[in-house]
Amino acid sequence: MVSASGLHDIDLTTKIGSLTLAYPTLMGSGCYGSGEEFAPFVDLAKIGAVVLKSVTRHPRLGNPTPRLVHTPAGMLNAIGLQNPGIEWYLEHDVAKFAGRPCTIVGSVAGFSVDDYAYVCELLGQRSEIAAIELNISCPNVASEGETFACDPRLTGKVVRAAREVTDKTLIVKLSPNVTDIASIAREAQSAGADALAVINTVRGMAIDVETWRPRLGNVTGGLSGPAIRPIAVLAVYEVARAVTIPIIGQGGIETTSDALEFFLAGASAVSIGTANFTDPRVPVRIVEELRAYLAQRNLRSLSSIVGRANVGFANAQQYEGDEG
Amino acid sequence: MSTTASPCGTFDATILDRRELAANVVLIGFDAPALVAVTRPGQYVMAVPPSGEVASTALGIYEAQGTRGSLLFFVVGKRTTELAGLRPGDGLSLTGPLGNGFDLSSNPRDVAIVAGGVGIASVLLPAQALLAAGARVRLFYGARNRELLVERERFEREGCEVILATDDGSAGHRGYITQALERAEPPELILACGPTPMLRAVASVAETLGVRAQLSLEETFACGVGGCWGCVVPLIGTSAQAPNFPPLERGGSDVVYARICKEGPVFWAHELRW
Ligand SMILES: Cc1cc2nc3c(=O)[nH]c(=O)nc-3n(C[C@H](O)[C@H](O)[C@H](O)COP(=O)(O)O)c2cc1C
Ligand code: FES
Repeated sequence: MVSASGLHDIDLTTKIGSLTLAYPTLMGSGCYGSGEEFAPFVDLAKIGAVVLKSVTRHPRLGNPTPRLVHTPAGMLNAIGLQNPGIEWYLEHDVAKFAGRPCTIVGSVAGFSVDDYAYVCELLGQRSEIAAIELNISCPNVASEGETFACDPRLTGKVVRAAREVTDKTLIVKLSPNVTDIASIAREAQSAGADALAVINTVRGMAIDVETWRPRLGNVTGGLSGPAIRPIAVLAVYEVARAVTIPIIGQGGIETTSDALEFFLAGASAVSIGTANFTDPRVPVRIVEELRAYLAQRNLRSLSSIVGRANVGFANAQQYEGDEG
Repeated sequence: MSTTASPCGTFDATILDRRELAANVVLIGFDAPALVAVTRPGQYVMAVPPSGEVASTALGIYEAQGTRGSLLFFVVGKRTTELAGLRPGDGLSLTGPLGNGFDLSSNPRDVAIVAGGVGIASVLLPAQALLAAGARVRLFYGARNRELLVERERFEREGCEVILATDDGSAGHRGYITQALERAEPPELILACGPTPMLRAVASVAETLGVRAQLSLEETFACGVGGCWGCVVPLIGTSAQAPNFPPLERGGSDVVYARICKEGPVFWAHELRW
């Protein structure tokens, strides 16, 4: 047994670019409002950071309803980036984020390289926002939302444009809906990303067999929750082999053991989205249990286990062969 | 609607009692003093069954008295099946009370409550509050058949006039409960909870009668606390319930999407643009 004071010696601080987070737990963009919504149920001082809902240049009403469907071990969502637009956001919302007990990370989405640069520049000037996540991987908007993350060249372009207009820590959120996530990751890193968020939701669809209609107003949606966890773990594993910048692993994390899979695959921090819907106490529980897990193994810091499952594969063939 | 935020949280409740009111209709009583003490009529909880399914279930709070609250629900899927399997002594995690609830602040003297099916679960508390204030309360209660009109005697015992309708005519009026509402002496205020098609019918009857109506809407929830914008409904841009959001043009008028779980679940019928 480790004494209580021993548990507190364990170092969970995590560096993401110029950010230092007290805990390696971020709350997924679009899942946690601005943190305030969850304040009655969880001590925000005990979570690493809240990633805000993505904001765009112009206001967006978002997708028609229904926007949510529960599916086995997960859910589909198609919110469609409902947000008030950057102007309204700066005027009415951002000031409220000051003095929150946890770090606040902004999230920016867009439909052109110019859009991203425009919003990043304005948001980057605000002291209430500690870092910016570039959501180049939203599957729920009709046109170009996700195409940025599906094309290494476009990824490079948009990240470079954002890098030019802000010194804030820049996190780039990647899509799993690609053939080769490692090549996108490499491009994001060389364009100036400080960290990568891996992964956004997996595209999916559900159909009502009574009405013969898609269940989502938007027809297609993004799958989240435990159903996508193995996809996400693999994506982190592959990205970790391709880049040197920190990775924020996410996709279906509900328990400490789930989070550990991501750390072992190469993530320096994890993000929790859908699990908060079931039980808002999950992020704090994971932090407490991580300490115990490390203490039991006489480890003093979380960083000592990051990427330890990454034994690598000699070549692509060997790797494909493993999938049987 | 009520605007004062009530103190809410996540509570570990213990199941006290369980009754099967009809096939696949279950009432579970639980002990959660802190939750029960602050519950207002028309509020709900997110219930997480012990196995922790991906999403919790939003359920109206049926009774709230002393330290005991209860949930009345239809067993329709995996999550409600698991909840229905709970026995006295079992634990249950409840987050709430959530939502705005019904606005009874105008002190109405003659109220029609319209409940369809499982909608009955959200209307006992407002009925009790109105009766306690000396109002006349008529319950217009519809279901598929007689067996599913659960708890109708309970509402009579409380002092409501109960008007029934069933799809098959096995009790009360044969047809929709909104047809009975249409023919009745107009109330001063309508409160309604039930399936969306019924609520739409209530909205149109209310408009015809020139009576204001509060509708408790139902939608699939994810977070249940206003964090994900998954459960929205369009409101007129000028609604007092509109969230902090710029009204945007849609179909020729300004609308704003409000969150059913946060700004609702109760909305004024005449402010909805659904
Ligand atoms: C309802 C909902 C809304 C989301 N909105 C956004 C968003 O606006 N921007 C974004 O980058 N990711 C968004 N996401 C993706 C999550 O941040 C997260 O990356 C993904 O859900 C996987 O993690 P999880 O399984 O823990 O939820 C959303 C997810 C959900 C479920
Ligand atoms: S369910 Fe998330 S905002 Fe209502």
